[in-house]
Order: sequence, then C-alpha cells, then structure tokens
Amino acid sequence: MQYGDGYWKVNSKMKKLLIEGMHCASCASNVERSLKKVEGVKSVSVSLMTKKAIIDVDTNVKDEDLKKAVSRAGYKLIKIE
Amino acid sequence: MKEELNLEELEINSWKKKLILSWIFTIPIVFLMYFSKLTGIMLFEDNTMIILSLVLAFPVIFIFGFQTIKSGFRGFYTFYFSMDSLIALGTVIAYLTGILQFVFIIQDYSGIAAMIMSIFITGKYIESVARGKAGREIKKLIELGAKNARVLSSNKEIEIPISEVKIGDILIIKPGEKIPTDGVVVKGESSVNESMITGESLPVDKKKGSNVIGATINQYGILYVKATKIGEDTFLAHVINLVEEAQSSKVPIQKLADKITSVFVPVILILSVLTFFGWFLFGDITKGIGAAISVLVIACPCALGLATPIALTVSSGIGAKNGILVRRGEAIQTMKEIKFIVFDKTGTITKGEPEVREIYSLIDEKKLMLITASLENLSEHPIAKSIVKKANLKKYLEVKNFKINSGKGIEGSINGKKILIGNEKLMKENEISLKQIKIDDFEKKGYTTLIVSENKKVIGIMGVADAIKEDSVRAIKILNKKGYKTIMITGDNERTARAIAAQVGITNVIANVLPEDKSKKVKELQKKGKVIFVGDGINDAPALKNANVGIAIGTGTDIAIEAGDIILTNGSLMGVVKAVNLSKATFSKIKQNLFWAFAYNVVAIPLAVLGVLHPVVAEIAMASSSITVVTNANLLRRKKI
Repeated sequence: MQYGDGYWKVNSKMKKLLIEGMHCASCASNVERSLKKVEGVKSVSVSLMTKKAIIDVDTNVKDEDLKKAVSRAGYKLIKIE
Repeated sequence: MKEELNLEELEINSWKKKLILSWIFTIPIVFLMYFSKLTGIMLFEDNTMIILSLVLAFPVIFIFGFQTIKSGFRGFYTFYFSMDSLIALGTVIAYLTGILQFVFIIQDYSGIAAMIMSIFITGKYIESVARGKAGREIKKLIELGAKNARVLSSNKEIEIPISEVKIGDILIIKPGEKIPTDGVVVKGESSVNESMITGESLPVDKKKGSNVIGATINQYGILYVKATKIGEDTFLAHVINLVEEAQSSKVPIQKLADKITSVFVPVILILSVLTFFGWFLFGDITKGIGAAISVLVIACPCALGLATPIALTVSSGIGAKNGILVRRGEAIQTMKEIKFIVFDKTGTITKGEPEVREIYSLIDEKKLMLITASLENLSEHPIAKSIVKKANLKKYLEVKNFKINSGKGIEGSINGKKILIGNEKLMKENEISLKQIKIDDFEKKGYTTLIVSENKKVIGIMGVADAIKEDSVRAIKILNKKGYKTIMITGDNERTARAIAAQVGITNVIANVLPEDKSKKVKELQKKGKVIFVGDGINDAPALKNANVGIAIGTGTDIAIEAGDIILTNGSLMGVVKAVNLSKATFSKIKQNLFWAFAYNVVAIPLAVLGVLHPVVAEIAMASSSITVVTNANLLRRKKI
C-alpha cells in the first residue's frame, strides 16, 4: 500500500500555495481570511513556518483567483503545488 | 522545495542588510540623545539636535523600514492589518512629533522612532534566524535527495541528473554512494545505512529482491537497482510531505490564541487611540503620545501566533530524525490522557514472519506435509506461506472445493477425501475429536496451532510461531513502568496469546478476535479510558482510526499511511515509547509558550496604557517576547526522547 494511492486521492483537490512576505502571526491569519473568501475554497491552513497555505478547493477554482486573494491580503503567491 | 529554502534565506539576508544599515543611522541618534542627558553637556542647540535627529531617522524609517511602512499602511485601506500596521503607525507618529514640535508644544519622539524601527528589524532578524534553526532537520531531509544517478545504458555506465531517471532504469550504486531513488535490487549484495530516513541505526542487509530507499547510503558492495519510484512518489518525498503536514497541523489548545491573533491588531489600534485621548483629557499630550506609541509597539501577536507552530516544527524535525511522523496535531494533546496501549500481535509485537516450529504427526510426516502444503498453497495468509515454505515442494496434490473460513481455517478435498485445516473452533464445529493430540503443549509454547484432519479424523498438528521483535520486550517494559495499561490483541486463542504476551511482559490479552472486530474492542476499551492502538496500518486501519491515537508501524519501504495519527517508519516498538515521550514534551513546550505569550501581553499592554513603559523599552520587550517563544521551542532538542 502506498501513500500516494489512498490519501491524496481522497483530498484530490488539495493544493499547496507557497507564499512570500508573511513574517508574523497576523500575516498568516490575514492570508487565511482572504483565501477563505474565495468561493469554492473549503478549508485553509496557513503555516508561517513552512510559508505555505494548504487548502482544500473545488476543482473549478482558478489559480488566478487564489493568487488575487493572496495579493489582496498584501502577500505574494509564488507557486502552487 | 528548493524555493522554500531560498525564500527563507532571502528573508534572513534582507533583514540582516536592513539591520546593519538602520543601526548605522540609529547609533548616532542614541549617542546624541543620551550624551547630553548623561553628561549634562550640550553638543548642539535644541533645534539643531531635533533637525539632526529628523535627518538621521528619516532613512531608518522610510528607506530601510519602507517594506514595513508600506505593508503596514496598506492594512488601513484593505483592512488586512498585520503587526506591520502597528509598527508603521507607531514610528510614523513618533517621527511626526519631531516636525510638529516646531508648531505645538510637544516632545520630540523622532529619535525614538528610529530606535523602535531598528529594534523591530533586529528582532525580526533574530527571529528569522531562530525560525530557520527550528526547521533544521527538515531542511536536511529536503537536501537529502541524490542529485545524480549512474545508469546502465546499453551496457555502459552513464551519469545523469536524478530528474532524468525513469522507472525501470537500472542504477549502479558503488560502496559509500547514495542510492538515487527507490528501487529493488536486481544484482549484488550489500548492507545499507537507512538511519537518515527511518532512524534505524543498524545497517540493513540487501540482496537480490530487496527493496531499497532512495537517499540511503550503500555500505560495502556494488548494488544494481531497478528504479521503481521516482520524484514525488518516493519514500523520501512522502516523508517530507508528512513532516510538512505535521508542521501545519492544528493543535486544539492553539485555537484560542489563533482567535485572538486574528482580531489582535485592530483591537490594539483602538486601544492606542483610547490611550491617547485618555491622557489628552488629563491634559498631558506628550505623555499621551508616548503611551499611545508604547501601546502600538509593545503589543505583539507574534508570540501568540508562533507558540504552537514553532514547537511543532522543532518537534516534527526531531521526530523525523527518529523515524516518527506525527500527522495530526491533536495526537500530541491527547497523549497525556492515554490510559491503554493496545498492541496488535502479528507484525507489531512480532516480526510478522511466522515459521513452522514443531510438527506432531499421526501419519507419515511427509504425507502430512504434502496434504497440508497442497491446501495451504492456495491461501495468501502468512501462516499458510510459512507451511508452504517449510514443505518446500515442487509439486502439489490437486485440491477441489477449496474454501477459506475467515478466522478459523481452510478446507478442500484431495482425492475425494475431505481435508480441514484450522483451529479448535473449526474442528469443534465439524465435530472432530481432538482426544489423540495434545494441543495444550503447543499452545503453552506460544505456538499458533493448526490441526489437520482427513475425513473427520485428526492426522496431525503443526505449531507455528512468529519471532518477537528484538525491541518489543524493552519497549513494553518501559511503557508498563510509565503506568500505561498495555494490552495485546490477537486472533490467536487465549492460551497461545497468553504465552506470547508473557514473553514480552504483557498481562492483559484480548484473544480470539477476528480482524474485523479489533476496532469494536477498541471502542469498548474507550469507555474506560483513552486508547492508543498500535498496528500495521494495512489490516488494522479501522482500529487505528477509532483509537484516540493510532500509531501505524511501517513495514520496511512502504509508509503505512491509510490510517494513523502517528507513523513509525521503522518497525521497532521503541518508536512507540519515543512517540509518547516526544508528544508529551512537545505539548508541554506548547503550553509554556502559550503561557508566556499570554502573560506577556496581559502584563505589558496595561503598563503601556498607563504610560509606565517608555516606547523604546516597550519595543525591546516586544522583540524579546517572540524571540523567547522561538528560542524556548528550540530547547525541545535538549529533551532526550
């Protein structure tokens, strides 16, 4: 049995966003608040430590919208995994 | 993953640059301010002093602090406030007093503004370095992957970048070299050091057919390995993913702190305005400005927000080094309430490689083996495999009407005779007399006993045993000593189970449990207290999920991932001891951090409101509060797990 076989399939809409510019705890909560406002985003978990937001989204949500949400809060989305 | 490392380096370097530049301008200000105060000698006239300070402070706040000022004021029209908003407002107001004092009678705070900004930058620099240190082990993991691979291509060895390796490529690994990616040995023999990934300190022997893990080190022989997994599918990539997940997972105790953090900045802004007006009503504008600035710069959401994540980061790093991956943060909090630890027997306490130890035959032993192996050859059960292995036959008898009775045994007919192989239950159900054999003797030795019958008559019994893992006894002894109630759960019957349990030092046994009933037993126990279930993650997934904390034990090269709050990458039960210790140590660090962060804000903010704290002192206190939290988390490393 493999990690890849089961776990990720269940969360197939999971995305990891690498974000630049977060340097304090309220930054992380800003990013979280802004991403949650995007329609289709179900859950958001932002880590200041990994500089990443792990989100659960509907597949029809555009990356562009995520990018906008991050920059609305004042930060930069560098990469989506 | 490389980008993340660069991002962090960029952050540290940019703070460092700002730090040096801002102090070059701030130190003269400090000198000017305190020289006259300490010596009573005036170097310059008052107005010249203020102009000098305004000139020197300008670059510190508006050039080196530009990022902070920009992002801070941005918050006022987007309503996404961060702590930059507090610092930006605090420093700009302080700076403006230097200009306004030419018109109104207020004290000049422009020098203070520069000091606040410089201290803020210094604090952020120290914090970013300490944060980098917290993620040290994870960084090592990310950098662990091989860069190149030596591939056999039309009988020639060529070296290619790891990204070009394809599944099925034959890789050549010389002694001392890193195995480029996950694969299976096709030629050669060696031992491999896997400690960097599984935490297992002893080298693992590899021969043809063995699985190897990418990024581990080949010790002495040349290995030819066929690549089976590449890129994001490798064991290492999965470990990194899991560690990352662990770092950002939420621990329930953090919830309150997160809630406070999210409304913190706006609340402080309002409080600062109220502070100013409060003092203004008493007629002391200068004091009012000072106190309002103090409130702005002393309030720090960082310590609160960092308390848990920073501890998790350090902890997940230590865990990864020891082969422990904590996937869900709740497990860390639940750990201190655990009462029962339930161990699955096969593959958890034991090695999961049963072998035939003793045979008692009522007919010719060769014939017994032939009949038994012919039937067992059709089953996939580990015990069946051990019998087939023991018989070591090339040809088997033809079996008709083969059937598996889950949890009891198997049946089928050979040459028209009905053969039943299984446990006592199966024999009793078929009304087969067991008088001629001594099952007790076998069971007392801890053997799983298989009874073989032909046309309702017993023809022999076989004792199968599964060797106990080297560390099991030690691990269980430690856990017992810690006061946990250890329990073994198994499908074996009571006598066999008790014999094995006694060998490892477990007194509580739940025997005769069908695989699908394990989770039910866990639920029953939960009525009496919180339960850890330790199992192999494949067969035990429901029990692992139902338990308060599920610890899945890895089996060699695969990460048993389906269930399990905690995953142990190597099979040793000492991992359970370490996981318990690490979780408890981490949780107590989190509690300490939260306590300090709360206490700091609860004490410091009122003092600032009352005007007791000078803005510079306030800023130093603020910077140290987040540094304290980060440093305290780093101390977790000292804990022996």
